[in-house]
Amino acid sequence: MRTLDIFGYSFSAIKLRKFRAALTTLGVIIGIAAIVALLSITQGLQATITSQLNQGLSADTLIVTAGGSAISGGGGGFGGFGGQTENSGFSLYTNYTQEIDALSPDIANSVAIISRSGYIVSENLNRSVTIYGVDYATYQSIYTNTFKAENGSIPTSPSMTEVVVGTRVNQPSQNGTVFFNTGDLVNVTWTNATVLPLRNETYIAQVSGVLGKIGGFGIGGPSDTGVYIPLEQAQSFFNTTQCDMIIVKLTNSDSATVDAVTKAITEHFSDQVSVISSTAVLSLLSTVFGTIQLFLGGIAAISLLVAGVGIMNIMIVSLIERTREIGILKALGMKSRTVLTIFLGESVIIGFIGAIIGILLGWALANVTATVLGEGGVIGGGSGAFSITPILTPEVILGSLAFGIGVSVIFALYPAWRASKLKPVDALRYE
Amino acid sequence: MPTNTPVVEAINVKKTYMLGKVPVEALRGVNFHVAAGDFVSILGPSGSGKSTMLNLIGALDKPTSGQLLIDGVDIGTLSDNQLSELRLKIGFVFQFFNLIPRLTARDNVELAMSIAGVSKSQRRKHAVELLENVGLKDRINHKPAELSGGQQQRVAIARALANNPKFLLLDEPTGNVDSKTAAEVLSLLKKLNTEDGVSIIMVTHDEKLAKQARRTVKMFDGEICADEANGQ
Ligand SMILES: Nc1ncnc2c1ncn2[C@@H]1O[C@H](COP(=O)(O)OP(=O)(O)OP(=O)(O)O)[C@@H](O)[C@H]1O
Ligand SMILES: [Mg+2]
Repeated sequence: MRTLDIFGYSFSAIKLRKFRAALTTLGVIIGIAAIVALLSITQGLQATITSQLNQGLSADTLIVTAGGSAISGGGGGFGGFGGQTENSGFSLYTNYTQEIDALSPDIANSVAIISRSGYIVSENLNRSVTIYGVDYATYQSIYTNTFKAENGSIPTSPSMTEVVVGTRVNQPSQNGTVFFNTGDLVNVTWTNATVLPLRNETYIAQVSGVLGKIGGFGIGGPSDTGVYIPLEQAQSFFNTTQCDMIIVKLTNSDSATVDAVTKAITEHFSDQVSVISSTAVLSLLSTVFGTIQLFLGGIAAISLLVAGVGIMNIMIVSLIERTREIGILKALGMKSRTVLTIFLGESVIIGFIGAIIGILLGWALANVTATVLGEGGVIGGGSGAFSITPILTPEVILGSLAFGIGVSVIFALYPAWRASKLKPVDALRYE
Repeated sequence: MPTNTPVVEAINVKKTYMLGKVPVEALRGVNFHVAAGDFVSILGPSGSGKSTMLNLIGALDKPTSGQLLIDGVDIGTLSDNQLSELRLKIGFVFQFFNLIPRLTARDNVELAMSIAGVSKSQRRKHAVELLENVGLKDRINHKPAELSGGQQQRVAIARALANNPKFLLLDEPTGNVDSKTAAEVLSLLKKLNTEDGVSIIMVTHDEKLAKQARRTVKMFDGEICADEANGQ
């Protein structure tokens, strides 16, 4: 029997029971749509985070922190590192930058950062921020493009009370409503938790510069919600000579250089620091997202398996109903193999149609979800809302198609095999 | 006219069904032959093994023992696939017609050809011709439920003839139709036999109909008890 005729026959059988076929297909549609929606949203999210990270984390900078754990959350997600680090006993001090600078000719510069959660208070604003103590000149030489004033300027040798703020500190909603201007005086406050009872420490600072919009995340790099005070002021205000991280700028971004310097720094501090490079963060990120995708995709795949059981159920019912028909086909000379193909053909058609509709539906669902999340600002955290654009890769499309058809066929195998094994005499006698 | 070439040769054919653990001997050693071009009717009481015999000749089942040669080949030695191929050369008309309800008369006839691998355009043309031959020219697009019993019967005959079979097997073809339709069907069969040379084996209960064949084989309790030519 010709292949086209086999498929035509399968199709005529499906057409006879349209409603039943539609219900069976619905199971596949839901499963595939769930897979496509979840995967395209997580891939979109990953792309967004990666691109934001790439902005805030250049390939030629390394981040040195105390202790083993590489990424520890602080105020504002990735945007800042919490002050109190692990209790490894080892601490980074601000003057370690000199030791680091001497380690390798590939190191251009390094800057120590002290960060604390605090508030900025002006006449009509009380805003929770992360306060960073940095050496303005060095920090600017590392982050030339982002640590750049849009209003006012960044003083090269600042007085103790000068302050530079990110654009969202001054203008949180980014709609033109500005809470203070350069030259204005603001209160810089942090809650000193190293003494009891807890005490709010405050000093009056003068705003000398507001940064341009940076957007998104950045590790170590300037942030839209950051407040930058001179390092000496931070040391006396926070009463510490320790720092939370040291940013190391390299002369080039070869992976060999990155690896060599990473090793040199780690060895210099006897393995008591962790050195994060953008490549390491990005690869960690892709591992994390890989796991998330596997997990979400796996859950969605289970729903498809449920659909598969439904297909098997329907096929067995239809096999029983069509016993006589199978007997006729065999009596007319149809081979067992062809009977098998006809039944599998029906499941291929159901799987194919279900997968196609499922992919379209899942894609639509992903876009609706992304829009709703974007508007609601659910995603964005402390660093300001950003939008996700769902991504549908050819791999996901082909994979879903193959999976949808595969599941249908696998669950149809048993009923189809039983149909093909029916003996014509018995099938014809069947009432 | 019957020739000397046998299309069916049964040598001591036995068929035993197992009903649970109880063996039921449906055929107890049947010897029988049909020459090409012959028209044989099989007559016998209910349960005598007529359908069992016909199913074996139609390659729908294998004998338990003995030899059954169809066109010179012992079907007992054939694989499932080879049996399927053999069935393509045999036209079978079942007692209850067994048309596929969702297909029209023409599609039912076409189906037999499509299983044999005939191309769409060829089988379409041939199906219409076959239906015209059995007098159903104006019913080709009717589904079985929209046809009378006699019309369904004729569709089944047209389908059985679709692949130019060596021989035609009919299991009580007139069991469900009135005597007038039965006479019509029978004259159609005689025409096929005399004009087109199709060998025919027909199972029936009706002695008058059986007499119209060239030869009548009588069965009783799984054995052949008489085999006589009908003088015409
Ligand atoms: N699949 C089967 N399993 C068990 N016994 C069977 C089976 N098929 C037929 N038989 C038995 O074999 C015997 C012959 O049956 P068969 O159908 O050949 O009779 P028949 O001559 O065609 O009768 P009828 O004229 O009523 O159609 C019967 O006793 C029947 O019960
Ligand atoms: Mg019978």
